[in-house]
Amino acid sequence: MLIQLNQKQLKLQNELQEYFESLITPALKTELNHPEHFEGGGPEFKKAMKTMGSDGWIGLSWKKEFGGKELSPIEQYIFVETVMRTGFPFPFLTTESVGPMIAEHGSEWAKEEIATKILKGELIFGIGYSEPNSGTDLASLQTKAIKQTDGYLINGQKMWTSLANFSDYIWLATRTDFEAKNHKGISMFIVPTDDPGFSMSAINTLGDVRTNATFYDNIHVPETHLVGELNQGWSLITSQLNLERLALVNHGPVEELYKDVLETAQSTKINKDQYLSDLSWVKHNLAQVHSGIEALKLICWKQTWIMESGQLNMAEASVAKVYGSEFFIEAYRLMMEIIGELSILKNGSELTILNAKLERMYRTASILTFGGGTNEVQRDIIAMAGLLMPRSR
Amino acid sequence: MDFSELSHQSEIRDSLDKIFNEHCSQERLKKYDSNFKHDKNLLSLLASKGYLGLGLNEKYDGSGEDLYDLGILFERLGYHAAPLSLSGCLVDVAQTIQKFSNEEFCNEILGSIIAGEIYTSAILEPSNQDPENPITTAKIEDDQLIISGTKYLSEISSIAKSILISANSNEGVLLILVDTDQVKLTELNSTANSPLFKVELDSVRVDRESIIHEKGRGLEALRYLIQINMVMRSYISLGVTEKMTSLIAGYTSEREQFGRVIGTFQAVSHRAADCFIELECLRLVNQQAAINLNTNLDCENQALVSKIWAGNACHKISYSAQHLHGGMGVDKDYVLWRYCLLAKECELINGSSSQNIDRLGENLTTNQ
Repeated sequence: MLIQLNQKQLKLQNELQEYFESLITPALKTELNHPEHFEGGGPEFKKAMKTMGSDGWIGLSWKKEFGGKELSPIEQYIFVETVMRTGFPFPFLTTESVGPMIAEHGSEWAKEEIATKILKGELIFGIGYSEPNSGTDLASLQTKAIKQTDGYLINGQKMWTSLANFSDYIWLATRTDFEAKNHKGISMFIVPTDDPGFSMSAINTLGDVRTNATFYDNIHVPETHLVGELNQGWSLITSQLNLERLALVNHGPVEELYKDVLETAQSTKINKDQYLSDLSWVKHNLAQVHSGIEALKLICWKQTWIMESGQLNMAEASVAKVYGSEFFIEAYRLMMEIIGELSILKNGSELTILNAKLERMYRTASILTFGGGTNEVQRDIIAMAGLLMPRSR
Repeated sequence: MDFSELSHQSEIRDSLDKIFNEHCSQERLKKYDSNFKHDKNLLSLLASKGYLGLGLNEKYDGSGEDLYDLGILFERLGYHAAPLSLSGCLVDVAQTIQKFSNEEFCNEILGSIIAGEIYTSAILEPSNQDPENPITTAKIEDDQLIISGTKYLSEISSIAKSILISANSNEGVLLILVDTDQVKLTELNSTANSPLFKVELDSVRVDRESIIHEKGRGLEALRYLIQINMVMRSYISLGVTEKMTSLIAGYTSEREQFGRVIGTFQAVSHRAADCFIELECLRLVNQQAAINLNTNLDCENQALVSKIWAGNACHKISYSAQHLHGGMGVDKDYVLWRYCLLAKECELINGSSSQNIDRLGENLTTNQ
């Protein structure tokens, strides 16, 4: 057993830190401060993605045939961790979860056209799972793909299709067998967003994150856009979600925030002899956050290490997701307590601390406890797969 | 990065489970509920199979200096609620001597510990929150030390050959090995009926040679002892909480109400899932601390994190287990109740979670 990064990995971490310092230019920073672009999609963002791609960073652990470097998932995790620490809205769902699925199960066209371009930083995906009447019970989805002589005809509606406003494709879950039981009649498609049958309307959220309702009106896709076998889509969904769950709770951003808050507490004077960090309750809050981050880091490292051997365990992916998402909420609260009233000031206001990062993060935190598979379902999975208890109903 | 257990480590776990399954049955454990909780036959058996040499160098007949191996022993002792209290002997005395004493000490003491001789430590003091700064004093007179003070929560002291004592002197902190017949022992009556003692030293005279470390390294040795004790005791917590969680899963998968097993109610299965999450976190922070203590003598923050998680997990999982078992959880004919008592002992020895959070916060904000 060895629980630390090795010299090479530490070197990679440093190298990446320096790399991002030069990649994130003032122009990109300005763009990301703009409300319409802070999730990405602007011209500077696209430029940075292509640079990362051509510099070979996006697919560190991918196979060489796609342009990857075939390093281990640990290196891949370090990359995502470091890029997320910078605050750059890296489209990790595309690169870390959908991309690997397409690389493994896609048609020749998808492997050549889609997977390699994801690695070059040229493509972004939105994920089309939820529907107005299919959320937690995802397998009840009704968007249909009907077989035709030269492909499939797709009709339906999806909800919460984040990033669709600047995505090139949707990773779309459809029903292809209407007789089979729920889970057995689902197939996955790659659907281009420039098809005239594709449209969307914006949904604005509490965290100022835009998401979308997306509509699919007689969209015809060729056979090559089917990923995996017909009617075997459910296992792709669950595998994708396992990868997604790990990416969602990466420990980098919260640790970065903790460091910033610690420094702020150590440099903020509360009277002529005392700093904020001298107060006992401030120390308590910092220690709570620190010991929580330690566990999160280890959970993520272990998951990543397990991925090396290829068998991501369902219970452990769900542990990471439940623990991480609930810890974020607690950690933001503890850190906002330290910054105090000043932490309710929004970006752009006077007197903000840490560019009002906490004010924005706490507003986006709740998404993770239900997004990516609600925590109730994750706890069901833990009880069944981890504790071998009977299925709940 | 490698989270896998080596094959010999899984073998240690399996063999220990075999031994403890046989020796820690309900019937046998009952015997120790009101008597002195120390199974000397079981200790001899562990000695004869070499398990008291876990974490000790081969040159003293140990099985190698890996604290992860030793952690497995404490985890399994906790899991089976074994009537053995060994952290004073195998951790405080053996490990500290291995790291800080000269060859002579090592040869004499480590060999006999591996063979089954009992030593123990007396570090904690009533009403002293900071074990790194003992109230107990050692006056240095020529080649002799005169030690006075009161210690408590010292394990199995009445059957120990000698006791490792921490004391303050004008040369700083000292760790001194004192013969048991030189001190006054009083057995304490504690929640899990563990064999814990008050140790009183009233001007006890020992030779200077009884100091186990080089001059000037006492504080470093004591800090190491405290940290490794925290981590190894957290392994007991891990075993105790692991057992309670598996009892929850087993019981709620069989008990039927309203015509179905209660584990199918989400309110039940989710509380069990939360125990599983807590347990995973504890396992990982323990592993990190144990492995890093292998190569680094000072990992205080990691040790504190493992103790904080241990304290919280013991508390939460114990009450979840009692609640989900209903009346069975408190019935002394069932297995759970012993673990609940042990959990409280584990939670509080070496400082509560709140106390250790305080200490960790101090460390984090002072940039030591």
